[in-house]
Amino acid sequence: MKFVCMKCETYMNFEKVEKPGEGSLGVFFGCPSCGARFTMVTNPGETQMVSSLGVQLGGRAAPAEAFEMTRGGLRADGAGQADMANYLTEHYSDTQASTAPTGEGEPEKKSGGCPFSAVVAQMGLGSSTETRADTSEFEWTADALDRLEKTPSFVRPMIKGGIEAYARKQGFKKINLQVMDDSKNVPAGIPWSPAAEKRLENIPDFIRPMARKEIERIAQERGAAQITEAIMEEAKTKFVNFM
Amino acid sequence: MPQDLKGILGRLKYTDDAHVVEQITEHMKAVKSRMARVRRKLVVMSGKGGVGKSMTTVNLALAFARQGDRVGVLDVDLNGPCVPKMLGMRGQRFEMTPEGAMPPIGPLGIKVGSMDFFLNESAPVQWKGPMDLSPVWLGLTEMNVIREFIADIVWGELDYLLTDLPPGAAADKPPVIAGFIPELDGAIMVTTPSEMASDVVQKSIAYARDLGIKVLGMVENMSRYRCPHCGIESDLFEGDTEMMCQALDLPLLGRIPFDPALARSFDKGLPLLDVDSSIVKRYDEIVTRVKSLLDYKKIMARQL
Repeated sequence: MKFVCMKCETYMNFEKVEKPGEGSLGVFFGCPSCGARFTMVTNPGETQMVSSLGVQLGGRAAPAEAFEMTRGGLRADGAGQADMANYLTEHYSDTQASTAPTGEGEPEKKSGGCPFSAVVAQMGLGSSTETRADTSEFEWTADALDRLEKTPSFVRPMIKGGIEAYARKQGFKKINLQVMDDSKNVPAGIPWSPAAEKRLENIPDFIRPMARKEIERIAQERGAAQITEAIMEEAKTKFVNFM
Repeated sequence: MPQDLKGILGRLKYTDDAHVVEQITEHMKAVKSRMARVRRKLVVMSGKGGVGKSMTTVNLALAFARQGDRVGVLDVDLNGPCVPKMLGMRGQRFEMTPEGAMPPIGPLGIKVGSMDFFLNESAPVQWKGPMDLSPVWLGLTEMNVIREFIADIVWGELDYLLTDLPPGAAADKPPVIAGFIPELDGAIMVTTPSEMASDVVQKSIAYARDLGIKVLGMVENMSRYRCPHCGIESDLFEGDTEMMCQALDLPLLGRIPFDPALARSFDKGLPLLDVDSSIVKRYDEIVTRVKSLLDYKKIMARQL
């Protein structure tokens, strides 16, 4: 925070900090040009905000000790809480709170419950059960539907869409457990040469899917029609260069 | 004639004469310098409370330590720290030195930092300051306390630092805390197979990814219930974490069944160290997978 002396059109200099009372700081500033001085006095909330930064206004004479703020900020008992309550009672009455501006002249808008409900509904993130297969162009078997219903609601539309896209591509009308399983293993768009496939087996099982994806991405960038040993070599070089 | 403040400010040169910016910059430098000696920095998060983040953090730390790594655990759940209790370290304290706070050392040499080391037994965290205005300052205080936990603890050289984040999702603290840690290697998400947990965890993943935090994978906790009498495992929740992981393009790092004996043992501060235990083996497998993911590029360069 800085203050400007409007008379001299210059920043005022920070001079010192004093503590005029419990929960308050007086921060002194002076104009280097005309010598005008003033003090900003903080209320307890502002004082606490400054101390929450873990800094000392004006700079430190000695380096901070370990956990200085944590140790200094922890309260051993319940003392000290009444100060702010008294402050608020004294300075902010109920009248002030109840006469807060409400947009005079504007008709009061009727509350419609949650202010975000319309947005949520628009995004299709509500708690509806629209993902059930009864709205689908496909016939879902009962066991397939049961499995779908067990997936978390937020990913269900994505999963359902993926399975149906696979079924559509394959020309299926009915979705059963087998179709669901098969849809997980849809082959990638770019074919792999047997030698490249064999070479991928050098990568441990757990990270092989990531590796496959990364290599296919490189091939796509190159516009390659097939994953060949040359593409594999390029991928290897890329990872060697990362190290 | 009214003066043009914008014009005046345009002609002035800003000076940090209260030394506030300078001190905040020093804070950040201290964080960076302390973390520079930690090879891999991971956070364990969930978004949903009660899914077993701390249990997962502690067991992963033990698994790393079993594999010979130097491990630290940072418990930044300020208001509900439980890592010290799980590791049988309650009542211990930091040793304050000119270099910083020396962390207590737990089983298998694991160094631990926790708010619990500042508290008396059963005492809640209470900050000085006007609590009736706490919405104004409490968040800022907690973030800076966490900054002290990262910057002021003398971790020394570590292979892995696991940070157990508090619960919370979306635009809440955990992803922001994770953003505090320089060169964070990734986040391990914890969930249960329940739909309720999965819903919240997904929000946390989305928010973490938005902040550029790499989510390494998911641990499914309480995946099943292991009967202490007959050893048979049954479902606790109906859900499909594997399918959720596929949809989110996230590896499922492993599944940990709910085992009452394990829970009781950690409640008593007696961590499970038996290498023949099937649960311990599962945590070992998860850690092996985490290492593969962290060393993905190296493995690709070496083995492809």
